[in-house]
Amino acid sequence: MKLLIIEDESSLNQSMVEFLSASGYVCEPVFNFKDAVEKIEVYDYDCIVLDIMLPGGSGLQILKYLKQNNKTDGVIIISAKDSLEDKISGIELGADDYLTKPFHLSELSVRVAAIIRRKKFQGHSVISIADIEIDTVGMTVKINGQTTELTQKEFQLLLFFVINKNKVISKNAIAEHLWGDDMDIASNYDFIYAHIKNLRKKIISAGGEDRIRSVYGVGYKMQLP
Amino acid sequence: MKLFTKYNRINISATIFTFVLGSIAFYFVLDYVLTRQLKETLRSEQFEIIHFVEEHHALPEIQNTRHQWITVDKSTQKINQPVFKNSIYYNEHDKEDQSAKQLLFTVDIAGQNYLITVNKSEAETEDLLKLIILITTGMIAVILLFNYLINRKLINKIWQPFYKTIDDIKAYQVSDKQPLQLTKEPIDELNLLNDSLNKMTQSIYREYAALKSFTENASHEMQTPLAVIRSRIDLLLQQSELKEQSLQQILSIEDAAQRLSKLHQSLLLLTKIENKQFVLNEQVDLKKIILEKIKEREELIDSKKIKIVTNCKEVVLSFHQHLAEILFNNLLNNAIKYTSENGVVDIELNEDFICFKNDAANEALDADKIFQRFYKPSDSGDGTGLGLAIIKEICNLAGFDISYLFNDHQHIFLIKFKTTQ
Repeated sequence: MKLLIIEDESSLNQSMVEFLSASGYVCEPVFNFKDAVEKIEVYDYDCIVLDIMLPGGSGLQILKYLKQNNKTDGVIIISAKDSLEDKISGIELGADDYLTKPFHLSELSVRVAAIIRRKKFQGHSVISIADIEIDTVGMTVKINGQTTELTQKEFQLLLFFVINKNKVISKNAIAEHLWGDDMDIASNYDFIYAHIKNLRKKIISAGGEDRIRSVYGVGYKMQLP
Repeated sequence: MKLFTKYNRINISATIFTFVLGSIAFYFVLDYVLTRQLKETLRSEQFEIIHFVEEHHALPEIQNTRHQWITVDKSTQKINQPVFKNSIYYNEHDKEDQSAKQLLFTVDIAGQNYLITVNKSEAETEDLLKLIILITTGMIAVILLFNYLINRKLINKIWQPFYKTIDDIKAYQVSDKQPLQLTKEPIDELNLLNDSLNKMTQSIYREYAALKSFTENASHEMQTPLAVIRSRIDLLLQQSELKEQSLQQILSIEDAAQRLSKLHQSLLLLTKIENKQFVLNEQVDLKKIILEKIKEREELIDSKKIKIVTNCKEVVLSFHQHLAEILFNNLLNNAIKYTSENGVVDIELNEDFICFKNDAANEALDADKIFQRFYKPSDSGDGTGLGLAIIKEICNLAGFDISYLFNDHQHIFLIKFKTTQ
């Protein structure tokens, strides 16, 4: 899977490349408008991570270029502007998703994976890893070959862990992924713990291996081969 | 009072004053001229008689008319200077008393002194005067009427562009994203007004656009370093050799970064609301939003063992979807945060108001200060201190009236919808 990371802030760009590379993607970083256009002209990418405000031009122009040239690269916009109009105009110009800065890398990762699933497999994708099988369209899960009933939140949580396998995910990141950032939950993580406990129980009772590890109370990670 | 009414009042009173003064003067002048003419007639009659007497030494044959007659009486008294007198006589023809002018003088015919009185009726003069006054008054009335009608039509027409300008100003909003563009008018004063307004809104708009792009750029510039911090923390967390203590420290850095980010988003939102960048023209289903927001928080509510009681009617208001969501988010977040364990949050919604009541986990808040920015009661934890300020600004924008009460150990936030109607 090839990703193009277009972001002028080099430190942020580097972070994304590092995190996503560790998730198995091949990432190419570019830092300005001109280089971005050159790359897009020559190569096709599975997904493009696109900042809107770039030196030398706007990310929206890149979207227009992709549309005009019938390129089917998936695009996720990452922007500091949390305004509805920008989201709408971005989506109208063909972006697949919009993520407001600052974001968790685990969140970016799960969204990029969703875009690639949609684009590459027209959504018909079953993620199969170790003893876990997730049908992302039918929203069903098989643990150890056995269909397991999960609540919507538990399903999202499992998918989040699987996509970010072997990564430590902070409680903040989990809370934001499941409930968005409208909620005032900063000081109350008990219910996150409750969801994780339930998910673990269901995995174990289906005969699966409990791979979710708590990391010093700061977060969790799922250990997968 | 309208300019036209004011102008008309002054104009009409001045006109009436002038005409009345003019009429009075005209009356006296006319009266003077007519009386002099009358006296002249009487005097020429006197001369004729004296002349006749001197030539013929006898009285002339007297021919009286209805309006002029002469009486001759023998008299012993001699008048040196002819005397004018006013008298009243009964006019048989008109059947009324009428005034007449008399000229009295004496002539001497063969040693006999005669007193001759020449009378001339003033009825004709009076009639003439009356007619003239009538015509004058009529003319004043007609002139005033025409003046009024012409002014009204003309002035209304002349002021039309002025009212158009006023309408344009009323309809103008800086958030329209362009300065006011008033048209050129043929009248200099209006043109000056329009030009000045155009220039004024142009500079206002420029300032507004600069401020807007500044806040947006500031947001961009601040969120980017925050994004760097957060992404670096996510990477740090992956390093397996970190000790628990280091991890805890990293996480508290993350929390701080997150708070900073939220704080900035809240300030940006406040600026946007104050700049009236939201247009309240969407039909928003309030009940639906409230129920959605409660559902989103189900787990949080359960984990705090809070009970939420809703008593909501279908209410659709002309509002802004995003702002409505923020409004209820903040109210609900506060209610959940400050409800005591096992407490109850009571939400009532109808056409007139929405009311959030919750069992207080703490004491009453300072009602004078709670809507101020960065007001934080001692136990507010790590909130931004902007939640209620945002609620207040949204209410202000929408013309809602929000009030806070502490009653029966409950926090009560009441928002009345129809304060402006």
